[in-house]
Amino acid sequence: MLTVTQLTKVYNKQTAVKEVSFHLDGGEVVGLLGPNGAGKSTTMKCIVGLLRKTAGEIQIGGYDHLSVEAKKLFSYIPETPYVYDLLTIWEHMQFVAQAYGVKEWKHRALELLEMYELEDKQKKLGRDLSKGMRQKVSICCALLPDPKLLFFDEPMIGLDPKAIKNTKNLFKTLKDQGKTILVSTHLIEGLESIADRIMIMKEGEIIGNDSIANLKLQAESGSGLSLEDLFLELTKDE
Amino acid sequence: MNEVRLLLKKDFLIFINNLLLILRNPLRLIPYGIAAGYFVFMYSKGIAGSQKVASNVNMDAAGEVDVTQQNIIGGLTLLALIFFIFQLYRATKNNITFFKMADVNLLFTAPVKPENLLLYYMARSILPALGGSMIFLVYSGGQLASEFDLDVLGGLFLLFGFALYFFLIFPLRFLIYTLHTRFGILEQLRVGVLLLGIALSLLILIPGFLAPVFWEGMFAWISSPWFNLFPVVGWSRGMMSYFLEGNWILSTTYLLLYGITYYAVVKLVIQYSGHYYEDVLEATQNNEDRLEKAKGTKEVTEDAYSLNSKKQLALPEFGLGAKALYWRNYVQSSRQDLHPLIGLYTGGMAVLGIVLAGLGHFDWFSHQVLYFYLLFLLFFYFMAGIGRANIGDLKKPWFILIPASWSSKFWNMIKLDLVQTLIFALLLIVPSVLIGDYNYWLILLFPIGLIFAYVIGLGVNLIPQVGLDEGWDRILIKPLMIGGIVVFGIVPTLFFSGLLFGVTGKFIYGFGAAVLGLGFVAAILTHVTLDILKRLEFKEL
Repeated sequence: MLTVTQLTKVYNKQTAVKEVSFHLDGGEVVGLLGPNGAGKSTTMKCIVGLLRKTAGEIQIGGYDHLSVEAKKLFSYIPETPYVYDLLTIWEHMQFVAQAYGVKEWKHRALELLEMYELEDKQKKLGRDLSKGMRQKVSICCALLPDPKLLFFDEPMIGLDPKAIKNTKNLFKTLKDQGKTILVSTHLIEGLESIADRIMIMKEGEIIGNDSIANLKLQAESGSGLSLEDLFLELTKDE
Repeated sequence: MNEVRLLLKKDFLIFINNLLLILRNPLRLIPYGIAAGYFVFMYSKGIAGSQKVASNVNMDAAGEVDVTQQNIIGGLTLLALIFFIFQLYRATKNNITFFKMADVNLLFTAPVKPENLLLYYMARSILPALGGSMIFLVYSGGQLASEFDLDVLGGLFLLFGFALYFFLIFPLRFLIYTLHTRFGILEQLRVGVLLLGIALSLLILIPGFLAPVFWEGMFAWISSPWFNLFPVVGWSRGMMSYFLEGNWILSTTYLLLYGITYYAVVKLVIQYSGHYYEDVLEATQNNEDRLEKAKGTKEVTEDAYSLNSKKQLALPEFGLGAKALYWRNYVQSSRQDLHPLIGLYTGGMAVLGIVLAGLGHFDWFSHQVLYFYLLFLLFFYFMAGIGRANIGDLKKPWFILIPASWSSKFWNMIKLDLVQTLIFALLLIVPSVLIGDYNYWLILLFPIGLIFAYVIGLGVNLIPQVGLDEGWDRILIKPLMIGGIVVFGIVPTLFFSGLLFGVTGKFIYGFGAAVLGLGFVAAILTHVTLDILKRLEFKEL
């Protein structure tokens, strides 16, 4: 579903991402883990086309990631959920449905708003929403076109505990539906129960890429470390 | 073009929601209704009087060079030219954006064609330029109609002359930045703009040096009809000259030139911008941050400014409590400019004043030019006060919770601005007075006047921003406040200072009266500001 080959991103002579390569199969849920500044968001922004890659190739569903065909296949939920100040929640859904060419969208929109407890706030303007509510709107907008591939950039930040639980459940539901998901986060907890695989990034490079089970095994066979300890061990400064 | 339909629909919904918000409290529109009625009345009165006046204007001027008119046209053209070149230069430093962060999140990753988005947003950016020009025309329509034979066609050419000038600057800036990211020719572009600036300066200055009176010679070239051929600045002037010369074919030609240029710029941008999303990301984020800072919903973060983060600072201790606010501003300013107390631009403005005084001393310029410059600076600092971006900080919990009195917190928050203003004013006025033999009282009056002007602007900015929660209230009340301050504060001040100047014939008396008047207005606004800050604490708690 997603193939990244030798992706490099250089900003003002500083290399933020160094020759990163990985592949996501259809239906896989993969966590992109790393400390702040490791290059997770940059990698994700390059994949979704917000940043220009300096070198490398990115294919989504066999299409170049910048093509309209590729963009029909994925949705992106950014870390900071900006919405239009003067559109209501419902109008956001309508707008996204039109942008992605979704014909029968109203029923699904209602379902999503209900799941995130926004159904009674449909007429609220974007400017009147709290950060958490904007994040929920952002997730609803991303799910509305029913994409095959989803990119979540730090999805739990700003959500209340119930919304976090809903999002985790949502990951499970999406996984059951055969969706492919790439979640970027610096929090290891929450990924353990849902991710098939974890890629650990540090200083722009992928330094670990394995299944949760193998990583756990590796941690425990070492000196009885937890997964979190292993992550900290791998990403600690030299 | 599915994208255009999509965006038109989105903007239509936004427009309707805006209207609904305004109509939520229609009473606040009453003053605007009165103002509109006043302008309609003035305009119709002006048209009635125009037939009598118009015939006199053209007859007297035939066959002679009207020096006053030449200087006015030259001065205005020069300002437009400086602004234009400055904007081109800025394009070699950072990009502009037509987008919002919501577009980045919801549209940039959607299956839409980037070039169609750009085309739509670029074309839409004419609306603010047209709106601003319309307001200007409505305001000045009455006066222009009484002085000149201003008909509908003349009004339209005026409108488009202003609007297209401001409108085309942004696509041009976008094109320059695009060429830079595409070909990596930043240095060449910067040198090109600088060379253009130098060439234009020489074309303006050399005739000045050759003429018996410097500034009459200086304006000879840029006020000549040939300058109308100069792109953008000249075309706008040529188009607007309809209401003086009545040649609609010529004005339409300039309009067509604009059309062709816009088409060419858009074509080039689309051809070279490619996948431009990254190019606009930083500018879009900065715009959003600025808006949120003004609203007070976002902390002022260092990365929001173009800071020299590697600069090593050896900062003095300023003390405890509210002084922390001064210390914070001092640190940021240290990293933003050459020196925390005097920056590159303000240094340049001081040097310009001293040069004007020097030229006055050698009789190349009239002494009055420096006076105009000083009055312009009062206006400039008033506008700087209005434009202070991080005023929303005063609403932040950390500002409210610092254990100090309101007045001390407020003064420490703006203390650096006042110190910078004072230093700039002294750097400018002391050498200018000594070199140009101006009245010594200016050394005292000019710095005080400049501070008053800044504080008034700040008050105008701060009172609606901090005191009102509803966005439309703020937008609608701010112009009313400015209008009220102008009518009840600035106009009487100007009246008395003009009266004193007229009776005594001495600038210093008029200027002194102006400073006194500004002092009254500044005192009232400061009092209101402090009162509002106290209320804010009560509300927050």
